[in-house]
Amino acid sequence: MDPKTRYKIETFDIEPDRFEIFAPSAHRLEFSRREFFATLGAGILYVISAQDAAGQQPERIAMRLHLAPSGLITVLTGKVDIGQGLRTLLTQAAAEELRVPPHQIRIQTADTAITPDDGGTWASLTTPQTVPVVRRAAAALRQAGFQPQALQQTVASSVTLTDPKDWKILGTSLPTVNGRDIVTGRQQYGSDLKIEGMLHGRILRPPSYNATLTALDTSQATNLPGVRIVRDGTLAGVVAAGESTAAAALALLKPQWKESPLPDPSTLYDHFRKTAEAPVFQKGSRYPALLEAGAVADAMRTAARRHQTTYTAQYIAHAALECRSAIAVWEGRKLTVHCGTQAPQVVRRELAGAFRIPLADVRLIVSTIGAGFGSKHRGECELEAAALARAAGKPVRLAWSREDEFLAGYFRPAALVDVNTAVDANHRITAWDFHNYNSGAAGIAIPYTIPNYYCGFHKSASPLRQGSYRSLAAVANTFARESHLDELAHLASADPLQYRLRHIEDPRLRHVLEEGARLFPWPSRSKGAGLACTIEKDARLALFAQMESPAKVARLLLVFDCGAVLNPDNLRNQLTGALIQGIGGALFEAIRYDTRQVLTHRLSRYRLPRFADLPAIDVHLIDRRDVPPAGAGEAGITLVAPALANAIFSLTAERRRALPLSPSPAFKT
Amino acid sequence: MADPIPLHVNGAERRITAPAGLSLLSALRDQLDLTGAKYSCGEGQCGACTVLIDGKPVRSCLVPAASAAGKRIETVEGLERNGVLHPLQQAFLDKAAFQCGYCTPGFLMASVALLRRRPNPTPTQIRSELNGHLCRCGAYPRIVEAVRIAASRKR
Ligand code: FES
Ligand code: FES
Repeated sequence: MDPKTRYKIETFDIEPDRFEIFAPSAHRLEFSRREFFATLGAGILYVISAQDAAGQQPERIAMRLHLAPSGLITVLTGKVDIGQGLRTLLTQAAAEELRVPPHQIRIQTADTAITPDDGGTWASLTTPQTVPVVRRAAAALRQAGFQPQALQQTVASSVTLTDPKDWKILGTSLPTVNGRDIVTGRQQYGSDLKIEGMLHGRILRPPSYNATLTALDTSQATNLPGVRIVRDGTLAGVVAAGESTAAAALALLKPQWKESPLPDPSTLYDHFRKTAEAPVFQKGSRYPALLEAGAVADAMRTAARRHQTTYTAQYIAHAALECRSAIAVWEGRKLTVHCGTQAPQVVRRELAGAFRIPLADVRLIVSTIGAGFGSKHRGECELEAAALARAAGKPVRLAWSREDEFLAGYFRPAALVDVNTAVDANHRITAWDFHNYNSGAAGIAIPYTIPNYYCGFHKSASPLRQGSYRSLAAVANTFARESHLDELAHLASADPLQYRLRHIEDPRLRHVLEEGARLFPWPSRSKGAGLACTIEKDARLALFAQMESPAKVARLLLVFDCGAVLNPDNLRNQLTGALIQGIGGALFEAIRYDTRQVLTHRLSRYRLPRFADLPAIDVHLIDRRDVPPAGAGEAGITLVAPALANAIFSLTAERRRALPLSPSPAFKT
Repeated sequence: MADPIPLHVNGAERRITAPAGLSLLSALRDQLDLTGAKYSCGEGQCGACTVLIDGKPVRSCLVPAASAAGKRIETVEGLERNGVLHPLQQAFLDKAAFQCGYCTPGFLMASVALLRRRPNPTPTQIRSELNGHLCRCGAYPRIVEAVRIAASRKR
């Protein structure tokens, strides 16, 4: 792509793994070509918010808190509720610092007209970033005696927060504040919304992955009553009064396509190698794509033994249960979109850029979301709904089908990871050379003490659209690292736990391993046990697994230390869920495709974890009130694949280095 | 336009217009504003759209609305009576057997049918009965516990 037309990003303080954020919009809308390039050349800036970059900005209390005469206090957040417990955690944070009962607190989630920019709802940042911001504003208001004038004050950086050891509401398992709405069916998700006078849209999708529309015969579709055919740039769709009419009209369209093939999937990993760029060191980046120390080459040369392996991971799907939808409303040149994105400010900027209107004229109102796992960071659906609504001159609702999710969304990147290590005569690791191709930089850091290392992420060309997934590339990178550690332990005829401990200094990481060993117990008397450990987003965790067969997990035991625990029950729930989700990606999930199209484009073709896949699960939390809480929701997912691979090795003496580890025959690629 | 057809939903008589091919799920959600039953796959794989017809759990995304005419339909909205939660709703709430909650109405309706048929199911029976339902957030272990608690509490 011409560098002039590339989307610019104003801050580099975002993981390089978030490929979807850097990607162009799904559609180019109708402008003259010159105008189009002028717009892009000027740069559509995905400014990742100041909150994301710096953690906190001084802000007025009123940006965060509203007081109603009734005594009800509203907390404003630009984050969204995707089932991570956001409302509950922020209720606790505000109630704790205001010293009011939780039922006096209401949470207003992202509505760009009224809530501050808290960055995307990603990277488990709610706990380490949004919770502290809310606590500070609440503490400032209380210290000002709840005076309404105080709302106009800026939150002083010196404001004192309640010491975690004195917490009365934080640190407890306050039940999910919207739990009653969930069990009664009253909880409204984005796909449940309706707006007076809205029409329904459908988008014409190509028959293959890389295809462009060359001609469209609309003669039959236009015969249907009240149907409008929309063509806008690369986008084509229909709008009608009802969903069935829209679907019927879509079926009557006669498109012609120019298709171009995908590279043969069997050559995927070669393709990554061929298109790889060298890792780039970025000074000051929180998410470096290159880490090095010592002299790897020298250490390799003088090694007693070297071990070289390659690990792979396939593309997988997020498959959040709620498919995305959006309702777009234009008033003149002003646009309001009701939707379910995880990153309201990113999508808002995308829409302002796509329709060439000022940012201030785009409002996003985000509903509660039926989960995301990183899939809902871009405005694919919002943009389509807004384009249809612009053409129709009426509010339009666009609801994606499951097929749309698979074919028009993005996947977790496939990965190729080379690990090359050297050990001395005592089997101590002296050099670590680690290369991730295509999937990302998250999790390339090593929690072990190794004097010489090189860890790099090579950007490659991905044939399929890819982007953020829970814990990003840390899943693939931790799989490679922790599998390799086990291989080294085996070569040294050492116990994998003891072998790890010999290389670990971090006392908290040692502790989760030792605690897990005591509870599991390790060494296990039966075959089929495996373990893995990591430091992920400042949390320390160790996972112990028992396999019944290479395709069935019998038991998982997780020991988890993320500092002070804000809500133990919510954290256990999140971690258990992350482990279960991890089982899918570890054992059987994989996107299959051929040179034309993605073949796993429905839930009947894409297997997800069910009850039958469930092991017994224990989650042990280590609550450290003296350590600021780290983000936690996703971390559990990173250890599943390596613990299971190591357990399979113990069971079968076979080393499996490709994810998924045990694809079911019907899903084999 | 098709003639209006009657549906008995949660004890009330409602009317819908059902063009050929309209699913019961769409009729409930779009015409009757009963959005508790959810769409997720449209092919019977996930169970998010589960409602009861004459007491049996069905995937409403696969049931033509017209075929439900005159039958007794129960949805999640009908479980609460006079502000009192159904024991299963209470148990799901007590165990926080959800994260995003999008799958919850489907699990609740399938569990209602299960407990009517088998008031005291074993964990194995619960798991196999609910195996056709997906919870992508992975609240499965809590769902089993919730169903067991509901079974152990007498209504
Ligand atoms: S939507 Fe009906 S089973 Fe999935
Ligand atoms: S709670 Fe999210 S799908 Fe079950």
